[in-house]
Amino acid sequence: MNKTLMMVLTCAVAMPAAAFDFGNLEALKGKVQEVQRVQKEVKTATEDVSEPQEIEMGGGIASNVLGAAPLLKNRKVQQYVNDVGRWLTLQTERPDLPWKFAVLDDEDVNAFAAPGGYVLITKGLLQQMKSEAELAGVLAHEISHVLRKHHLNAIKKGARSGLMVEFASKAAESQGANKETLKKLAGAGTELYARGLDKDDEFEADRMGIVIAARGGYDPYGLPAVLQTLQGLNAQDSKLALMFKTHPALSDRLNLLDQLMTGRFDRFDGQPDLSARFMAVMSAK
Amino acid sequence: MRFPRMMMAVSLVLACGLAQAETATTVRLTELKDKPFSDAKTLASVPAQSKVEIVSRQGSWSQVKAGGKTGWVKMLSLRTEGGSAKAGDSGLKSLFNVASTGRSGSTMTTGVRGLSEEKLHNPQPNPQALQELNGYGVDKAEAQKFAAAGKLKAASMDYLPK
Repeated sequence: MNKTLMMVLTCAVAMPAAAFDFGNLEALKGKVQEVQRVQKEVKTATEDVSEPQEIEMGGGIASNVLGAAPLLKNRKVQQYVNDVGRWLTLQTERPDLPWKFAVLDDEDVNAFAAPGGYVLITKGLLQQMKSEAELAGVLAHEISHVLRKHHLNAIKKGARSGLMVEFASKAAESQGANKETLKKLAGAGTELYARGLDKDDEFEADRMGIVIAARGGYDPYGLPAVLQTLQGLNAQDSKLALMFKTHPALSDRLNLLDQLMTGRFDRFDGQPDLSARFMAVMSAK
Repeated sequence: MRFPRMMMAVSLVLACGLAQAETATTVRLTELKDKPFSDAKTLASVPAQSKVEIVSRQGSWSQVKAGGKTGWVKMLSLRTEGGSAKAGDSGLKSLFNVASTGRSGSTMTTGVRGLSEEKLHNPQPNPQALQELNGYGVDKAEAQKFAAAGKLKAASMDYLPK
């Protein structure tokens, strides 16, 4: 039965007999529809951002990071990283997001994922890798952060109450006000990179990353191999400081991967690492 | 005429390998195998907390030198904590510098380091760079072509439970 009709009938039954005047039924129906409209507005006043808004936020955050470290001036490498990354995203539950990958010209060892599909890795981190499978492992970890909306949820949790609702609810109107809200949210998202996510989010990204790399046809041991390489570096090196601060200890991450991978990943042991293709791109002039 | 090119090829291979021997420690009693397969011949049993030297990696196996023998152990039975390798000394870096900047110099740029916490707390947006980044997107067809060129075959696997 039509909802409006039901509401009208319910109201009619609840009201005293004197009000049961069919001339007023139209007015009553109007009031009921008004109530329903308000209910709908209340329902959508949540923090859930649409995908375009998620991408807008991610762009704002990426822009901030790019203000701190420029894009590496090497078209071949940028193209390559996007090819590897995009191929991996086709193996996930969000294959249609406009994923964008980039290498930052910075000596620090680090990687950043922003909402909407932005993945940035530093030249410093890239230089620690030995194969395409290792690159794939790291990108797969970052892709997982986007898939699970780790940063988006952390921003929601941390942002001044109402900010997300404000951003989510504003449509095309009041573009100016929305720009300010976006700037604040992008700022909150950028600060997160200095603080780090919950350790569980990082473990989850490791746990998902190895699967995504395996799905992409790569040797899934690429990610633990990179972690092992990083573990072998001088822990006092300032280029590692921010990464250490914002991630769980490498030994904990390796212990988890050790547990998870034993037995389960044997069937992928023959999958290629494409070190030749990786080296060819990195050394091209 | 051919000699310089061969030199390049050799140095490429050397640079891409391990720049220096990497030491690791076993986290458990582990078998040193003749070949990187579980059913390969066992050459020795390496006790936990033993120091080994990593030679190379292949999938889930690491080729190591342990107690005078060379063989294969499971990569994840090793940890490399307490290393002293410098982040800036990777073999890849020497190639990379030439590729990305056209210089093979080791000149240090002075000034405040890039990705400092300070900059993350007080960000300056870079709309120009964002615009360039937004142009980096690759479409599905290209990604699939790229995979095919590398003979990568998609596999299926469920995400692991917590």
